[in-house]
Amino acid sequence: MNHWIALPILLPFVSAILIEIVGRGRIAVRRGMGLASCLGTIAVGAAMVLLTRHGKVYTYALGDWEAPFGVVLVLDGLSALLVALTGVVSLFCLLYAMNRHDTRGKFFHFFIQMQVAGICGAVLTGDLFSLFVFFEIMLLSSYNLLVYTGDKQSLRAGIHYVILNLTGSVLFLVAIGTLYGVTGTLNMADMALRVSELGAEDIALVRAGALLLTVVFLLKSAILPLYLWLPNVYSSAMAPVAALFAILTKVGVYAILRVSTLIFGPEAGVAADAIEPYLLPLATLTLLLGMTGALGSTHLRKMMGYLIVASLGTMLMAMGLFTETGIASGLYYLPHSTVAIAMLFLLADLIGRQRGPEDDHLVVAHMPKQSGVLGLIFFVGAIAVAGLPPFSGFLGKMWILQASLPAPQVVIIWAVILSTSVMALVAFSRAGSLIFWKGEEPPKGEPPRGDSQMGATAFEFLPVVGLLICIVLYTAFAGPVAEFCTVTAQNLLTPSVYIEAVLGAQR
Amino acid sequence: MEALIASAIAVLGGCGIYLVLRERTFTVILGLALLAIATNLFLLSMGRVAPGHAPVIEEGIELSAYVDPLPQAVVLTAIVIGFAMMAFVVVLSISAHFVTGTDHIDGGEHTQ
Amino acid sequence: MAVLLIVLLPFIGVLLAVASGRLGRRAAAVAAAGPTLVAFALLMSLAPSVLAGEVLVLSRPWVPALGLTFGLRVDGLGFLFALLILGIGLLVIQYAYFYMSRGDPLWRFFSYLMLFMGAMLGVVLSENVLLMALFWEVTSLSSFLLIGYLSDRSAARRGARMALTITGLGGFCLFAGLVILGQIVGSYELTDILASGELIVGHDWYLPMLILVLIGAFTKSAQFPFHFWLPNAMTAPTPVSAYLHSATMVKAGVFLLARLHPALSGGDAWFYLVGGVGMATMFFAAYVAFFRHDLKALLAYSTISHLGLITALFGFGTAGAAVVGIFHIMNHAAFKASLFMTAGIIDHQTGTRDIRILGNLRRAMPYTMVLALLGSAAMAGIPFLNGFLSKELFLKETLTAPMMAGTPWLLPTVATVGAIFSMAYSVRLVHGVFFEPGQGKMPKEGHDPSAGMLLPVAILVAICVVVGVAPQWTAAPLLAAAAQSVVVGELPAYSLTLWHGFTMELLMSAIAIGGGIFVYTQRARLYDLAHRIWPGLTGGAVFEKTVELVVGAGARLTATLENGSLQRYLVLLLVMALAAGALPFIQYGFSSGPQELTPTNPVAIAVWALLVVAALATVLTHRNRITAIICLSVVGLLISIVFVYLSAPDLALTQLSVEVVTILLLLLALFVLPKTAPRESSRLRKGRDIAVAALGGLGMGAISWAVMTRPQDSISDFFLEHATYPVGGGTNVVNVILVDFRGFDTFGEVAVLVLAAFGIYTMLRYANHTFVEGVPDTADDRYPVVLVSASRPLLALILLMSIFIFLRGHYLPGGGFIGGLVASVALIMQYLASGIDWANERMRLNFRVVAVIGFLIAMVAGSVAFVMDLPFLTMALLGMDVPLVGESDFVMTLLFDLGIGLAVVGSTMTILSELSHMQEVEPYDEAQRAKESDPWKP
Repeated sequence: MNHWIALPILLPFVSAILIEIVGRGRIAVRRGMGLASCLGTIAVGAAMVLLTRHGKVYTYALGDWEAPFGVVLVLDGLSALLVALTGVVSLFCLLYAMNRHDTRGKFFHFFIQMQVAGICGAVLTGDLFSLFVFFEIMLLSSYNLLVYTGDKQSLRAGIHYVILNLTGSVLFLVAIGTLYGVTGTLNMADMALRVSELGAEDIALVRAGALLLTVVFLLKSAILPLYLWLPNVYSSAMAPVAALFAILTKVGVYAILRVSTLIFGPEAGVAADAIEPYLLPLATLTLLLGMTGALGSTHLRKMMGYLIVASLGTMLMAMGLFTETGIASGLYYLPHSTVAIAMLFLLADLIGRQRGPEDDHLVVAHMPKQSGVLGLIFFVGAIAVAGLPPFSGFLGKMWILQASLPAPQVVIIWAVILSTSVMALVAFSRAGSLIFWKGEEPPKGEPPRGDSQMGATAFEFLPVVGLLICIVLYTAFAGPVAEFCTVTAQNLLTPSVYIEAVLGAQR
Repeated sequence: MEALIASAIAVLGGCGIYLVLRERTFTVILGLALLAIATNLFLLSMGRVAPGHAPVIEEGIELSAYVDPLPQAVVLTAIVIGFAMMAFVVVLSISAHFVTGTDHIDGGEHTQ
Repeated sequence: MAVLLIVLLPFIGVLLAVASGRLGRRAAAVAAAGPTLVAFALLMSLAPSVLAGEVLVLSRPWVPALGLTFGLRVDGLGFLFALLILGIGLLVIQYAYFYMSRGDPLWRFFSYLMLFMGAMLGVVLSENVLLMALFWEVTSLSSFLLIGYLSDRSAARRGARMALTITGLGGFCLFAGLVILGQIVGSYELTDILASGELIVGHDWYLPMLILVLIGAFTKSAQFPFHFWLPNAMTAPTPVSAYLHSATMVKAGVFLLARLHPALSGGDAWFYLVGGVGMATMFFAAYVAFFRHDLKALLAYSTISHLGLITALFGFGTAGAAVVGIFHIMNHAAFKASLFMTAGIIDHQTGTRDIRILGNLRRAMPYTMVLALLGSAAMAGIPFLNGFLSKELFLKETLTAPMMAGTPWLLPTVATVGAIFSMAYSVRLVHGVFFEPGQGKMPKEGHDPSAGMLLPVAILVAICVVVGVAPQWTAAPLLAAAAQSVVVGELPAYSLTLWHGFTMELLMSAIAIGGGIFVYTQRARLYDLAHRIWPGLTGGAVFEKTVELVVGAGARLTATLENGSLQRYLVLLLVMALAAGALPFIQYGFSSGPQELTPTNPVAIAVWALLVVAALATVLTHRNRITAIICLSVVGLLISIVFVYLSAPDLALTQLSVEVVTILLLLLALFVLPKTAPRESSRLRKGRDIAVAALGGLGMGAISWAVMTRPQDSISDFFLEHATYPVGGGTNVVNVILVDFRGFDTFGEVAVLVLAAFGIYTMLRYANHTFVEGVPDTADDRYPVVLVSASRPLLALILLMSIFIFLRGHYLPGGGFIGGLVASVALIMQYLASGIDWANERMRLNFRVVAVIGFLIAMVAGSVAFVMDLPFLTMALLGMDVPLVGESDFVMTLLFDLGIGLAVVGSTMTILSELSHMQEVEPYDEAQRAKESDPWKP
C-alpha cells in the first residue's frame, strides 16, 4: 500500500494533535514536535520528488473506495514539488519563529502544523470538493496565524483577508456545484472524462463553472485584479508567518495549473481551453502592476508583498503559455521565488528591528547594528528576487524568455519581463542604499530605543542563511531540477496519464 | 418548483451580496450568512429537486426513487465549515472593534 | 582545468578577503594578491598554446534544458583580456594598498574587487554565451558595490545606483539578445555561434537581436546615449576607476563587439549602428572632456571617447579595422590605467582633483610629472608611444571604411576633429596640473608619493613606451593571437611600424597635434563660450529625473489602486466572478434543459414567499441589528423547512442546530458591537451595489435553473447501492457518505472546527479582559429565574437526546455532528442562564482538549486500517469481529462519528463559552491594556 502518500497530511495533523495533548505548557516539546514534523514532511516530499521524476503518477484510495466514488489522493510531480517546498519553507519559518514569536500565544505550533497539513492536503487530493475542504483548513490556519499577534494592523488586515476569502469560498462552492451539476462527479480525473463527453447544450454551463473556479484560484494566487489584498496582509503578519504565507499563493497557482490542464485542457471537448486565453494577459498585467507597486512602496515588507505579486505574475505568464517549456519554466521559477521571498521577509524583520522606531520604513534611520552581514544577505537576496545572476531566479527568467520565444505574444512578454527586471533593480538599489548606506549612526549618549541596539543572534540568522543556501543549491542543481520540471510539464499536458492512474482499469 | 428554488437562490444570494458590500463588519457578517444559505440551497439544487425519498434506504424502494445523496453530504460539510468560519469572523470583528475602536471594515482608516 | 581554476581563484580570493577581516590591511592585500598571482601564473602557462593559435575549450553540463553549460574557452581574445584583468588587477591591488586610507576596512574593498575580477574573467573566458551573460550581470553588481564603496557620500550612492541601473538594463537586453542569438543558431556555445555568421545575418530576427546585444555593449562601454553613468561613477575610489572604468569593465562592451564580430558584423545594420554610435561618441566625448575641470571627469570622458573610437573600429566591419580595434584596446588599457592612478596620486597628495586649483606641481612631484607626461602623450597619440600607433591605424581605417561611398570625407573629418580635442585635453592635463600656476590654494602641499604607489604607474608607462618604440617584438604576437579570434579566415595584412612614409593618416595626425595645441591656447575663450552655450541638461540629470518620475508615478498608481477599501476589493472579486460566469452564456447562449418541471403546491409557494420576505427584511433592517438577526433566523428556519421538503432530513436537522448556535453567536457579538449601523453609503454606491448584488443573485439562480432543468447522470447511484450492509454498513446514505465514502472531507471538516475554536480562543484571550465598551449593565436581570430553573432539568434531557441522535446517525438522520451541536446548545444554555462562574464550577472540562481528543479519536478510527494494510479511513475492516460489540465496520464508523461529535462539542463550547465570558469582564485600565497588547515590551 502507498500509505506514505497520505503522510504529508497525516504527519502534521498528528503532530498538531500531539502538540496540544502532550506538549501542553512545554514549549520544548512543542518545538521538537513541530520541527520533527517539518523534517518528516521534507523527507517525504523529497522522496516524492524522486519517485515522480520520471513522470509516474501514484494514487491512494482513502477509505478503500475506488475513484471516483471515494476521495483519492493523487501524487504527481506537481504535487510532489509543492509538498517538498512546503516542508522546506515551513521548517525555516518554524526555526525563525522559535526565537520569540512562538511563545507569544498558545497555539502557534498547532496552527503551523495545521497550515502545513492543509497545503499538503490541497495539493495531494484528486477530488474537487476535498480540495475545497483543505483550502479551508489552509485558509483558517492562515487567518489564525495572521491575527496571532492581535495588534491593530494585523486585525485590520485580517478583516479584509478573511471576508474576502470567505466570499471566495462561496464562489468556490458555486463553481464546484455548477461542475457537479453538469458532470455529476467530484473527482477531478472523472470530471475530466465526463467534461470531454459533454454535449454542445452544456457548453455554456461547463465553461461558466470553469471560469468561476478560475476566479477563485486567481483570488488565492493574487492575480490581477484580485491581488490588491496581498501586500497589506502579508506585510501585516509577523515575519515567520509572512514567510510561510509566501507558499499559500502557490497553492492557488497549483490549483489553476491542475484544473486548466487536467479538466479544461485542449482535449476537454466543449470545455476545451476554457481558461487558457485569459491567463497570460492577466498574468502579464499582474507582473507590471506588482512591480510598479514594489517600486513605489514605502516600506520594505510591503515591497516584499508586491514582489510576491510580481513573481506570481511571472510564473503564471510562463504557465499561461500552456506549452511544455512554458509550464516547465514556470514550475522552476515557483520554488525559487517562494524561498527567496520567504528569506527576504525574515530578513526585513531583522533589519526593521535594528533600525529603531522607523522599523522597515524606507526613510533615513539608524544604520542597522549589524549592517555588514545584514547588508550582505540583503544584497544576495535582492539579487535572487530580482532575477539577477548568478541565482536561480535568473535561470528561471532565462528559461521563461526562451519558452516564450515561439509564442505570438513574445514581444510583449519579453518587454514586460525585461522592464520589470530593471524596475526590480531600481527598487532594490534604492531600498538597499537607503538602509545600508545612508543610515545615520545612532546618536551617542542616547538610551537605546527598542531593539535597535540589540544585534540578532546566530540562531536568528540560521533560518535566513538556511534559505539562502537552499537558493544556492537550487541554482547549482538546476540541471536535474529543470529535467524534473520538464517531465512534470509533459505529464500535465498529457492528462490521460493522470486520468488513467486515478481511474485505472475501469475505463 | 424549480422556478421557486432558483428564484429563492437568486433573492437570497442577491441580498447576501448586497449586505456583504456594506461598510460595517456586522452587516457584512449578516450578508455572509445569507450568502452561505443561498450557496447551500444552490448546492443542493445541483442534485435536482425532483421529488423522491430521502436517502435513507428502506426495503422495497427502488434506488432510482431516492434523491441524490451526494449534494446533501456536500452541503452538510459546507454548513459545518460555514459555521466554523462564521464563528471565526464574528470573533474577529469583535476583536477588531475593540482594538481599532470601530466596526468599520477598513478599520476606520478609510472613509468614502 | 587551468581555465577553471583561473576563473575560480578570484572567488576564492573573495572568501579569503572576507576571512582576513580581522587580520588587518596586509592580510587583506595578500588574500587578494595571492589568488590573482596564482591565476596570472596559470594563465601564463597557457600562453604558448594560445599564442600558437589553439583554442582551449572546457565544458561542464549545468542546465541542459536551457542550453546553459559551464563552458569556458581560452582563445587569443580571451587570453588578451584575461591578461589585462589579472595583470592590471595585480597593479591595482598594489596601488590600492597604498592609496586607501588607513581607517578603511580594506578586506571589504578587496572582497568586492575580487568578486568583480572573477566575474570579469568569467565574461571574457566564457564559451557559453548564457554563462557570459550571467557573469556580465555579476560585473554590474560588483561594480555597484565598488562605486558605492564610499557610501556616506550621496554622490557615491547616486553614482552606484545609476551605474547599476544602466548597466543592469543593458545586461538584461544583452541577455535577451543572446537568447535570440542562441535560438537562431540552435546552440549557445560560442564555437557554434562564431561559425554561423551567414545564418545569423540572414535571419529574420537579426535586427532585433543585434539591437538588444548592442544595447548591452553600449551601456557597458558607456557609448552615447548611455555614457553618462561613467562620469558619475567617478565617485568610486581611484583604484576602482583605474581598474573598472578604464582597463576592464568598460572594455567588456567592446570585448563583446570583438567577441561576436565574426558572427554579427556581416550586416549593414552593424555598420550603421556600431560605426555610427562609435564615431559620435568618440567625437562628442572628446569635446566634452576638454571642458571638464575634474581630473577624473576629464579622464572619464576621455575614456568614453576612446571606447567610441574602438567601437567605431569594430563597426567598420572589416578585418583590418577589427585588428586595429584590438590593438587600441591593449594600448588604451595601459595608458588610461596609468593616468587614472596618476590622478589618484595627485588627489591623494594634494587633496584636490580640480585642474583649476592644481598647478605648478612639476617641482614638488617630478616623478609623477614624468609618468603623467608620458601617459598623456600616449593618450594624445604622440609618436614613440603606443597610442600613436593605434591612433594612426585608426585614422587610416576611417579613410577606407566601406559604405561611405557618398561621403568619403565624413569619417576622416570627424576622426580628425575628435583627435584635435583629444590632443587638447591631454595637453591640458599635463600643463594645467604641472606647469600652469593654479587659481586657488591646494588643501595639501603635494610631494611625490612612496615608491610603492608609483611603481604600478611606472610599470604601465613603461609598457606604453616599449610598445610604442618596438611594437613588432612586444605586442605583435599577442595582437596576432587575439586578432585571429576576431577575424574569420586569414589575418589581414597590417604593419606595426612607426614609420609608414608620408601618408594621409600622418597628415591627419599632424593636424590633430597642431590643432590640439592651438585649441589649448584658445582655452580661456573656449571655456567662456562653452560656459555660455553649455546645455544645463545632462544625461545623468535626465536619468535621475526619469527614475524619480517613474518611482513617483508607481507610488501614486499603487496608492490609487490599493486604497485599503475592502469594498473595492470585494466589488472587483464579484464583478470578476460575474464576468466569468456570464461570459460563456453571452458567447454560447443560455438554455434551459429539457427536463420536465416538478409541479409545485401552495405550501411551497407560501414558504417561498416567506423566505423572500425574510431575506429582504434582513436587508432592509440591517441597520437595526437585533431585528436583522431575527429576520435572519427566520430565513434559517425556513431553509430547514425547505430541506425537509427536498427530502434532506439530515440537512434540515443540521441547519436547524447550526442556526440556533449562529443566532446565539450573533447575539453575543452584539454585546460588544454597536447595535445599530449608521447610514454612510452614497446613493451612487448603493446603486452600484444593488446592481452587483442583483446580477450576482440572478447569476446563481440562472445556473441553478439551468442545471435543475437538465437530466442528471451522477456517480451517486453507487452510494445508494453500496451504502447498506455488507459494504457501507448503514442505511442513512448521507451519513455513510460522510463517515465512510468521503470520510476524508469530514475529517478535514473536523480540523476546520478545531482550528476555528483555537483561533477564537486565542483572539478572545488576547483582548478578552478588555471588552468593556457596550457591555450592558446586567445587574439585576442577569440570570432570569425562569431560565435558570428551566435550563437545568432541560440539560439532562437534551444531552440524552443528543446521544440518541448521535447513535442513530448511521441508520436514520442524525449522527455525530448534529448530536454534538445539540449537546452544545444544551450546555451553553447553562452558561447563559446561570452565569459563567456557576457553569465553570460544575464543568471543569477544558473544551479545547475535548475538541482535540475528538480529532484524535477520528484520526485513530481512520488509522486502525493501517493494521490491516488498508488505506487510511477504511471503515469496512472485513473479517474483523470486535468482541462484545459486533462487526468492526460498525465500530469504526461509530468511533469516527464519536470523534466528530466530541470535536463539535469541544469546538462549539470553546467558542460559545469564550464569547459568553465577555460579559463577565471588569473594566480595565488603559496602561495595563497597552502593556498587555504588546507582550514584547519588557
